[in-house]
Amino acid sequence: MAASATSHLLKRLARSLGRGTDALEDARRELRWMKQALHSPPKGIKPDAKSLEEMVERRVRNEPIQYILGSVPFGTRLELACRRPVLIPRPETEDWALKLASVLRAQASPARPLRILDLCTGTGCIPLLLCAELPPGSVRATGVDISEAAVQLSAENARINGIAVSGGPGLAPAKNDKQENTFTPVLADLMDPDFVNRAGLEPPYDVITSNPPYIPLTEYEALDSSVRDWEDPRALLGDPVSSSPAAPSVPDAHLNKGLAFYHRIAALVRGHGLLAPDGWLALEVGDGQAEEVGEIVRRGTALRAVATWEDPYGKRRAVVARREGVCEEPSHY
Amino acid sequence: MFRSISRLGFHATRQINFSRQLHIARVLLAQAQRQAGSTSKALDAPIVQYVKRKVEERQKLQSELSDEALSDEDIQRVRKIRELEPLQDAWTEWNRAKESLEETSALLNDPDPTMRSMAEEEYAALTENMNQLVENTFPSLLIPPSQTAHLSAIIELRAGVGGSESALFVGDLVRMYTRAAQSMGWDVSVISSNVLESGGIKDAIMEVKGKGAYDALRWESGVHRVQRVPATEASGRVHTSTVGVMVLPLTEEAESSADDDLFKMSDVKLEVMRARGAGGQHVNKTESAVRLTHIPTGITVSMQDERSQHQNRRRAFQILRARLMDRKLSQEVLERRDMRRSLVRSADRSEKIRTYNYAQDRVTDHRIGLSVKNLNMVMDGDGLQDFMRALQERHQEEMLEEVLSEQ
Repeated sequence: MAASATSHLLKRLARSLGRGTDALEDARRELRWMKQALHSPPKGIKPDAKSLEEMVERRVRNEPIQYILGSVPFGTRLELACRRPVLIPRPETEDWALKLASVLRAQASPARPLRILDLCTGTGCIPLLLCAELPPGSVRATGVDISEAAVQLSAENARINGIAVSGGPGLAPAKNDKQENTFTPVLADLMDPDFVNRAGLEPPYDVITSNPPYIPLTEYEALDSSVRDWEDPRALLGDPVSSSPAAPSVPDAHLNKGLAFYHRIAALVRGHGLLAPDGWLALEVGDGQAEEVGEIVRRGTALRAVATWEDPYGKRRAVVARREGVCEEPSHY
Repeated sequence: MFRSISRLGFHATRQINFSRQLHIARVLLAQAQRQAGSTSKALDAPIVQYVKRKVEERQKLQSELSDEALSDEDIQRVRKIRELEPLQDAWTEWNRAKESLEETSALLNDPDPTMRSMAEEEYAALTENMNQLVENTFPSLLIPPSQTAHLSAIIELRAGVGGSESALFVGDLVRMYTRAAQSMGWDVSVISSNVLESGGIKDAIMEVKGKGAYDALRWESGVHRVQRVPATEASGRVHTSTVGVMVLPLTEEAESSADDDLFKMSDVKLEVMRARGAGGQHVNKTESAVRLTHIPTGITVSMQDERSQHQNRRRAFQILRARLMDRKLSQEVLERRDMRRSLVRSADRSEKIRTYNYAQDRVTDHRIGLSVKNLNMVMDGDGLQDFMRALQERHQEEMLEEVLSEQ
């Protein structure tokens, strides 16, 4: 492409990204990523855009760069396909999931594989990261989501990254080869009273992870359009939109604070023996929610050792709990 | 070859009976040595003296070995003796060649023309053999093997004096190193760069992966000067600009952030470059820039060109490790120099090492006084090999001087 055409795209992109001195630098970087995605995309992931112009036009309309590129690098080795409207994996999630992998590494072994359940799995980023980071044969992960698009994408992501897909809708169970980690995608509604049966879960699990929707309705309206207009509200909104009969009982003090899913998860852990006695519960939380989510876990479950882990930007981002023992944040991964 | 030497040797011993001829032979040998300057130099070169001393040392060790059970000291001696064995072999070969040479020179004036021409041929071959020993075999046995031979390299380039013209030259050098690395069969990539709106590159970091990359490229560190008429210069005046180049040793580690012998994780401060507001689900912007600070040395590394924070972090740790490794290596050189007052020349990074003169179509390396015509060939990477080779040779010579100065 002629230099003048590229520089036109660069200017257009920079203007749309903001006014700061960073805008040009950001634009140049994004343009480079677009070229990379067009000419040498990660294996098995092709962006749906056909040209640089098309990509820039979409970006100018504030479409998230990850949907345009079609992929997100995640953890130390994953490349995840990323498509509207499935929630884009965030760096904060990558950070705590890597930390979790590093604390689980000590107990993960093919002799006794860890059974991992991820609720609201989206692209599958959390269970797939654990599959990729932990030794071969030491993980049997299940990822559940309410969205068909998410369930399909998570299965696709497992395959792209060479992780065996087992069971799931219309799929034969994978060979029970001890030498590989497996991922099972499941379509189910967490709020369904009969969730455990409908999802075909087989408790107990050694690790339960979740990045549930946690944005309060009031904040949702104020989100940047790149989030609000492009990503699935079902992955973001932590307050039930209508008072559906299936909605969990949320105490008045927690209404409209984006905490409904934490109450539901706590109830599942307590009521259904979902978590093994020495198991781990790790939940991502929104800005300012760590305290309350810690309380929900402490009161609603038998887990007594509760810690909050910070993200790289200084926010308390994950609540990690066990029945007893230590679940402090590792100093690095 | 050995067979022919012994045959001539036999002839020579027969002739020793004639004392007059012996005398002539000596004169001739002296003449021959004067003619073949390198051989005469070779015969009493410091390296020959040094090898001789080492071999004598070995013999002494052998004589000190006790006959019965080996003591701890003996085990040390045996090890040393075994270490010096290749040198002993080379020394034996040297002496054999030297003897033969003396014998052969006696025949250079032989009345029999067949004998004479045989002697001449033999003489040349022996001289060649001895030169080989002095120039290659001895040094390769004496110079300690490079500790960095297996390392890949990081090249950091930074525009210096000369504004945008200097930035343009950074671009030219990035291309030069890319081409040179490719023709060496190394994997090369630009892992970070600051491209200027006006064209050119303010700074760049390149990664050159392959065995021997660091050893070959390390002498590129220093200030590179370019003299040319900038494309933007209407008046056609020649400008002088500079680019700073720093080549660092790259070690591959399985885990990017685990403790290793270069640094402790607790000494590294890791920062993310921008605030993200509420972050998490609220924000889907890619803000992945990271900055590392190694507190004991104050070295900081920022990285933001990759898409994920983890990738930027891995890159940043890679560069931190390279800088610390570079520090460690320079420190070791300094210590060695202090210890032995060696002749190693300073590796001052602010030193102007090379000039690229476009008007005169010439590249000059000031350290070795090497000039290469055909600047384009250098900029295309091929001509750079000549400099890389010459600089590596210079390094070998310096290492040898250092060994020889050892008492």
